[in-house]
Amino acid sequence: MKPGPYLLASPAAGLLLGLLICPLLLVFRVSLYQPANGHGFFTPGTWTLANHSSLLENHGIRMVVYTMAFGATVATVNGAISFVLALFLRSLNSSLQNVVFAGITLPKFASVLVILFGLQQLLGDTGPINRLLLASGIITEPLSMIRCFFGALIGEIFLILPYTAILLFAQVMEIDPLLETSARGLGASRWQVFRRITLPLSLPGLVIAFQLGLVWGMGAFLGPLFLGGPENTTLSVEIQRQAFEYSRWPRAAALSVQLIFAIGMGLSIIAFAKSKMTRRLVRGGQ
Amino acid sequence: MITHQIYRALRIGIVFLFISGILAPLIYAVWLSFSPDSFLTPPGNEWSLRWYRAFVTDDRWMMALSRSIILGLACACLALFAATTLAYSMERYHFRGKGSLGILVLLPLCIPHAVLGMGLLPLFYISGLWGGMIGLVLVHAMICLPVVYLMVRDKLRRIDPDLEAAARGLGAKPSQVTGRILLPLWGSTLAVGFVAAFAISFNESMVTLFLATPTTETLPAIVWPQLRYAPSPLVAVASVASVIVALVVAMAFGWVVKLVGAKSLTKKG
Repeated sequence: MKPGPYLLASPAAGLLLGLLICPLLLVFRVSLYQPANGHGFFTPGTWTLANHSSLLENHGIRMVVYTMAFGATVATVNGAISFVLALFLRSLNSSLQNVVFAGITLPKFASVLVILFGLQQLLGDTGPINRLLLASGIITEPLSMIRCFFGALIGEIFLILPYTAILLFAQVMEIDPLLETSARGLGASRWQVFRRITLPLSLPGLVIAFQLGLVWGMGAFLGPLFLGGPENTTLSVEIQRQAFEYSRWPRAAALSVQLIFAIGMGLSIIAFAKSKMTRRLVRGGQ
Repeated sequence: MITHQIYRALRIGIVFLFISGILAPLIYAVWLSFSPDSFLTPPGNEWSLRWYRAFVTDDRWMMALSRSIILGLACACLALFAATTLAYSMERYHFRGKGSLGILVLLPLCIPHAVLGMGLLPLFYISGLWGGMIGLVLVHAMICLPVVYLMVRDKLRRIDPDLEAAARGLGAKPSQVTGRILLPLWGSTLAVGFVAAFAISFNESMVTLFLATPTTETLPAIVWPQLRYAPSPLVAVASVASVIVALVVAMAFGWVVKLVGAKSLTKKG
C-alpha cells in the first residue's frame, strides 16, 4: 500500500494553513476590531476602520515611507556587497572558497541576538573601534555608529548577507568562464565583458537577492531596535511596541496589514523594473 | 611570476580581512564573556569564569537553555517529517493544487516575523495554545519548513526515480524501497535539514518574543530584554552557550550519519 500525494503533503499543508494563513487572516480581522474597552485586547464583534487612521497622520505616513526606504537601502547595499563578494569568490581556488563559506556560515549557528550584541559592543561609543580611532588621533570625539541609521543598516546586513552571498555565488558559478575569456580575446574591454556578459547572466540571482533584501529589510525588527536610533522606527518595531507596551492589538494588526501591503508594493515594483531591465540588457547585447 | 605571487597574497589577505570582519561580533561576544568585571569590558590580563559559574548555577537560565534545546529538537523532528513527505509528494506525483502548494511553502520566508507574531497572538489567545510548548513547536516547525523543504527537495530531484521503480518491479515492499533505496541515498541531506531546522529554531527570537510566557521562556526570551535594557556579561555567556549547543548538535549529527552510512554499506556487502 502506497500513501497518496495528498496524505503525504498533508502535514506540511496543515502547518502552513493553520499557522501561516490562519494568522494572516486573523491579522486582517483584528485590524478591523474596535480597541478593548476595559478587559481583553479588542472588542469582539465590532467593525471599524479607525485603526488604519494613522495612515492619514503625518507620522504614520513617515513611518511607512521610512520602512520602505530602509528596506530599499538594505536591499541595495546588501545586494551590491553580495555581488562583489560572489564575483571575488569565483576568482578564488576552492580551498579559499571553503574558508570563506565556513566563515559565512558559522555566525548562522549563533543566535541573531549574539551577533547584534557583539555589534552593539564593538561599535559603541566606548567600544574598541572608537577607542582605537581616538587613541590614534584620527578623531577627537567618538563616532556614533549605533543608535542611528548606520547602526541599523549594518546590523541588518550582517544578518542577511550570508544568505544572499551564497545565493549569488551559486548564480555566478553557472556562468561559463569561456564566454568571458572569448569576449576578451575578441577585443572587448573588461567593462564591456562585465556589462554585456557577466551582469546580464547574473541578473536573475541579483533580482532574487534584491527581493530578499527588500522583504527582510522592510520587515526588519531586531537591527533597528538594538542598533537604530529612536527616530528610526520601522513598522515592525512599532507593531511590537503597540502590541506589548500599549496592549493595542487592533492598532498593531492595522500596522501589520500596512506592512504586508508595503512589501507587496515593493515586490511588484521590482517585478516591473526587472521586465524593463531584462529587455534593455538583451537589446543592449545585440 | 612575482606579480602573480603578489596577487595571490593580496587575495588571501582580502579573504582574511573579510572573514575577520564577518566573525568580529561573534568573537568579541565570546571574548567579553570571560570578563572578570560586571562591566562590558573585554578581559585584559585577567580572565575569569565568574559569569559562566553564575550562568550554570542560575535555575532560570538553565531551565531556559534546556527548554530551548527540547524545543529545537522537537521542532526539527516535525519540520523534517513535514518537509520530507511534502518533498516526496511534490517530486514524485502530479496532483491538483500542486502549483499553489509550491508557492505556499515558500511564503513563510516573505512574511515579516512581527506580522506573523501579531497574527499568532490572537490565534493562541482564542485557541488556548497560549503558554504551552506545543504551540511553539508547531510555529517553529512552520518557520523552518521552507528552508528544510528546499534542501531535501533538491537532493530528491537528483535521485533517479527509476531506482525505486526497479526495486518495486523486482518485488520490494514499499517499506523496503524506502529503507534500502531512498533513505540511504537521501539520508545525509535529511540530517543536514534536521541540523538546519534545529539551528533556526534554537536561535529564533522574534516569534518567541511575541508568544513567550513565563512557563515557556526560552533562551532568546531572557536574552533579549537584558540586551535591550541592561547588557551584562551574562548575555555574552548565554550567547556562547547557544553557539556551543548548536555546533554540538551539528557535529553529533554528522557523526551519526557517518556511522549509519558505514553500517548500511557493510550490510549491502
